[in-house]
Amino acid sequence: MSTDSAMAAVNEYLARLRKAFDYLPSAERDEMVEEVRSHVLERIEAEPCLTEQLVNGILRAVGDPEELASQDRTEATLRRALKTKSPWVLLRSTLTWATTGIAGVIALFVTLTGYGCAAVCYLSVFLKPFFPSRIGLWLRPEHTLTLGYWDGRFSGTQVYGISVRPPALFVLGTLSPTEGPVRELLGSWLLPVGLLCGALFAVGTTLLTRWLIRRFGPRKRSQSPRLELTTGAVR
Amino acid sequence: MALGKIADNRADHWGAQFRKGCLEMAILASLWKSRLYGLEILRRLERSSSLGLAEGTLYVILNRLKADGLVHSEWVDAGSGHPRKYYWLTASGKDRLRTMARFWVQFSGDLDALLESVLSGRELASVHR
Repeated sequence: MSTDSAMAAVNEYLARLRKAFDYLPSAERDEMVEEVRSHVLERIEAEPCLTEQLVNGILRAVGDPEELASQDRTEATLRRALKTKSPWVLLRSTLTWATTGIAGVIALFVTLTGYGCAAVCYLSVFLKPFFPSRIGLWLRPEHTLTLGYWDGRFSGTQVYGISVRPPALFVLGTLSPTEGPVRELLGSWLLPVGLLCGALFAVGTTLLTRWLIRRFGPRKRSQSPRLELTTGAVR
Repeated sequence: MALGKIADNRADHWGAQFRKGCLEMAILASLWKSRLYGLEILRRLERSSSLGLAEGTLYVILNRLKADGLVHSEWVDAGSGHPRKYYWLTASGKDRLRTMARFWVQFSGDLDALLESVLSGRELASVHR
C-alpha cells in the first residue's frame, strides 16, 4: 500500500470523526481530531511494512467514530449547557437529554414551558403597538387571567397566551372558548410589565434548567456513588 | 440452553459496563507519577489492567476529564514529525483519584471477603494469572 493511499484512508476516517463529534465546540473538536491523527500516524510509523489490512486494523482499533460519539454526545452537550446562558443551547441540550430517559423528558418540558412563557411576554410587548386593542392582560368571566392575544369576538371568545386561574390552573396556549365579556387590565403598562415578566421567565428557566442538569443529568448520576464507604458498608 | 446463553450475555454485558465504569479511575491513575501522551497511557493501561478499550474512547474520556478540570494538557513537538498532546493531573484530579482509590480499596476488599468462598483455589489462581 502506498503512503498516499494510507493517508487517504486516514483522512477519510478523520473526516468521519470530525462529523460524528459535531456537537463539540469547533476548537475542542479540532484538537481531538488532531490528537487522534497523531495517534494513528504514530501507530502506522511503528509498522515496518504498510498494508491496507494493517491501516484498516489500526483505524478499527481506534473505534467507529459514530459509536465513539454516541457514548459522549449527551454528556458533552449537557456539560456545555452548564456553561451557557443561551436558551437555544439549553433547549438543544435538553432535547438531546430527552432521548435518553424520563429525567430528560421532564427537563425538556420544563425548559420549553419556561422559554415559551418568556416568548409570549416578549411577543406581547412587541405586538402591543400594532394591535393595541387585541394584546393585553385579559380577565375572563371565570376569573382566569390571560396575557396574550384576544380574538376580538364577544361570543365564543378565545384568548391565546399564558393563562392562570387560582389556585392551580396554568396553561400555555389557549383555553376552551368562553362566553361573556373579557376585560383588559394593563393598557400601556403591558410594555414594562411584559418586559419584566419575560426577563424573569427567561432567567428563571435558564437557572432552573441548569440546576436540573446538575442535579439529575447523566454525568451527575455516573459520578454520584458517593465515594465514602463507611467501614463494613458492603457487608 | 437458551437461558444459559442469555445469562452468559448478561454476565458479559455486566463485565463490559464494570470495565467502562473503572476507565476514568484507571486513566487518572496512569497519570499519577508522570506526564504521558495518549499512546503512552494506552500502553500503560494495556500492561497493567485488563480494561480493553477502543483506543478512541481514551481521547473522549481525556477530553471529558479536561473539561471537568481533572487534567491539564499541552502539545509538545517531540521531533517525531507530529506533535503529541501530554496530560498531567491537576490538584483536583489528584484529590479525585485519592478519593476513588480509597473507595476502590475498601470496596474491593469487602467484596473479596464476600466472594472468597465462591471460587475454588484453582479458579482463583487462574484468574490471577
